[in-house]
Amino acid sequence: MLPHSKIKIQNSMTPPLQSSKRSLVMNASTSRLRRLGGLLGQGFLFSVTSLSTLTVFFIFYFIAKDAFPFFKLEGFREFFTSTRWYPSGDPAEFGTMAIFFGTGIVTLGAVAVSVPLGVSAAVCLSDVLPFNARQIVKPVIEILAAIPSVAYGFFALVVFAPLLQNHGGAVLAAGACLMMAPLLVLLVVVASDLIADRCFDLMRRKARWVAGLVLGAAAFTLMTYIGRQLGAIEIASGANALNVSIILGIMALPTVVSVSEDALQAAGRDLREGSYALGATRAETILKTVIPASLSGILAAVILGVMRAIGETMVVWMASGNAARIPGPWYNVLEPVRTLTATIAGDMGEADHVTGSSRFHVLFAMAFCLLAFSFVMNLVSEGIVRRSRKKLGK
Amino acid sequence: MRLKTRRLLDRAFSGMGLIAIGVMALALVVILTPIISKGTGAFVFRSTIEHRKVMSDHWGRGNADRVEKAKGQAAAARKPVYDLLSAFESELDTMPRAERKPYKKPLRDLQKALQNLLGPAPGARTPVLIRQQYGATRWDRAKIKLDEVLYTEEWDYSNPEVLGVLVKTPRVEQFCGTKLEPLFAYVEENSKPMMQPRWTFYWQFLFDTSKDSHIFGGIGPEVLGTVYLTLGAMIFAIPMGVIAAIYLCEYAREGRVISFLRICISTLAGVPSIVFGLFGLAFFLNTIHISDSKSVLAGALTLSLLILPTVIRASEEAILAVPRTYKEAALSLGAGRWHTVMTVILPAALPGILTGIVISMGRAAGETAPIIFTAAVSVGRPLLPSQVLSNPTPALPWNIYNLCTEHEAVDEIRHVQFGMVFTLVAVVLLLNVVAIIMRAKISKKLRG
Repeated sequence: MLPHSKIKIQNSMTPPLQSSKRSLVMNASTSRLRRLGGLLGQGFLFSVTSLSTLTVFFIFYFIAKDAFPFFKLEGFREFFTSTRWYPSGDPAEFGTMAIFFGTGIVTLGAVAVSVPLGVSAAVCLSDVLPFNARQIVKPVIEILAAIPSVAYGFFALVVFAPLLQNHGGAVLAAGACLMMAPLLVLLVVVASDLIADRCFDLMRRKARWVAGLVLGAAAFTLMTYIGRQLGAIEIASGANALNVSIILGIMALPTVVSVSEDALQAAGRDLREGSYALGATRAETILKTVIPASLSGILAAVILGVMRAIGETMVVWMASGNAARIPGPWYNVLEPVRTLTATIAGDMGEADHVTGSSRFHVLFAMAFCLLAFSFVMNLVSEGIVRRSRKKLGK
Repeated sequence: MRLKTRRLLDRAFSGMGLIAIGVMALALVVILTPIISKGTGAFVFRSTIEHRKVMSDHWGRGNADRVEKAKGQAAAARKPVYDLLSAFESELDTMPRAERKPYKKPLRDLQKALQNLLGPAPGARTPVLIRQQYGATRWDRAKIKLDEVLYTEEWDYSNPEVLGVLVKTPRVEQFCGTKLEPLFAYVEENSKPMMQPRWTFYWQFLFDTSKDSHIFGGIGPEVLGTVYLTLGAMIFAIPMGVIAAIYLCEYAREGRVISFLRICISTLAGVPSIVFGLFGLAFFLNTIHISDSKSVLAGALTLSLLILPTVIRASEEAILAVPRTYKEAALSLGAGRWHTVMTVILPAALPGILTGIVISMGRAAGETAPIIFTAAVSVGRPLLPSQVLSNPTPALPWNIYNLCTEHEAVDEIRHVQFGMVFTLVAVVLLLNVVAIIMRAKISKKLRG
């Protein structure tokens, strides 16, 4: 600390200014006052901070407060075991399994879309693209993340659903072929190469050609067969689980990409350079070194993507068809489903008039399940990220 | 494996990543293209004389003389249609009863179709609903209505193997050999003089109130409601978020309490948006009764909780990005911690904080689920600033949902729906572009 004595700044060359009469160093009492003020200020900052962060407890408390009356009135059994959802029937039935199933299948579909795409995009962003190209791609991801969910829902309902309904088979076939074509070409080339490796030196070139042609023909037949099969499908309703899964997958993409890119970056240069020094190609380096090292971070990305898909309301409410039953064979994604969030949003309008009834409280019970699930998932992903950071020594 | 194959695999691997990014960009384009192309159709379109009539009757717009002149031209072009109709009606009166009967229903259908295209016939009683007082206001809708005048549509379900098939038959077949037969050819040829289509830039779409549940007029109340909700959310979220970020970065010592607070923040960020809505209903409306019904205030408070984690994180990042040397220099000059924060760190971090705020503004403007139970109504007048504490408001995100799922004439108002989505997306994207540009400037500055 500075000495508590008055020091006057004086300069012999220039006449002392009026304002410089104020001392630059404070005396003991002002210092104490300031420290007190500082403490008070800090206390104020702390209380604002904790108020804003502790709202999460408020949320838990008030959702739980309205959720428990439901379990008191109706018990746990029906809620968690039955698939019959007739909240306005007489007697009302509150079996939510079909709704939980709807949320589950839609989320699985979203993960199936967003994780492969998102992780490969993240690999490309972190290891393949040069810095300048990355600066162009990043805004694309940001814009995808910024588009409001109701706009995605509108697209799903007004543009995508009619397309699926009118040209369902063609859309499915085109999508499947586009996905399969590059994979099959790659597979054929690699497989024919592996076969050729087993032949004698002289025949190798011929063997490669023959194997390539045979396998290529087989792959082509397979693709046309699958394309035909899919092309024959007629979709009765465009508002179904597939539609919602694809859109939710696109919505979850930015989260998956940015979190897994962070994880891949965190794996560090030294790991990569070590692998390159051993003669590995870039693909081998990434697949065998970088991805295993950052697996936990990628897992966290997947969890966050799942949370985004589970918590999304508008898209599923608008475009999932809202039928509270488990589809024919359970994996039939072309049937309409109903999710937790959509049920809460859709039924509250009617249930609001009967505040205090089971019909009102069951929605809070669902919200509580959502909340508890997202809380646990969040803790898990936080834990994973923290542990992996410790492991990588950062 | 051959070296060549390894290299090929390597290339393919990079290719797959590029394809993934391409698919992402494609998805963005596919989603934005219809929204932008059809959304601009709400602002720029070929309006018919009916649109100009609505504008001059309800908003007093347009040059009265020119509207009258165009009305006269349209009426002159439409006169033969009504003449033919009345000629046919008098022809019907002369027919024997048995012959007359089969024409009754087709005639009624035709008159209805004509009314949808042209509006009520001259001399007829003025209908009660505004939507029936005018014909098709847009040329694209008018063409569809014209098609409905010329053809009847029926779904054929006779083949159980396939879904229903739409069968179109010319309406003229129903009136073969009568005086009405030439009407169809006339209508088809003279649709333009009858409707007087003209390119219009209807920028007032953004500010006009809607007439007869969005069939005419614009989206003014929704835009205003969204502005109120967003600004309200920012008023609550910015001070809380920035203060929390300052505390967490500059004052807090890492320890149990702080890591607990951090877990709380990340949990808050993970709460599904619909749960925020329920919380707003259960707490702000049902427990502390912040207003008697849904209100902008309750909605803004709920939204502010939703964006709080985003604001905190963005501000924290911005504060942490301020070089340490700034802070050390300020401290070494004898400034206190508070003084340092206020005069050195906050000004340096301000652009970064603003970037975060702009992004979370976009988020608040677009969120629907939290305002369903707390603030949004389907129809309403634009609110005065004094009413926001107690009144609910229409808002863009909610009305997009409402118009495309619950409106009784969904197909009639596609242009309004697309216009709303376009407006919302444009606002959000604009905010984000601003944020991206700001960030680019900051990073350039920090790199020197």
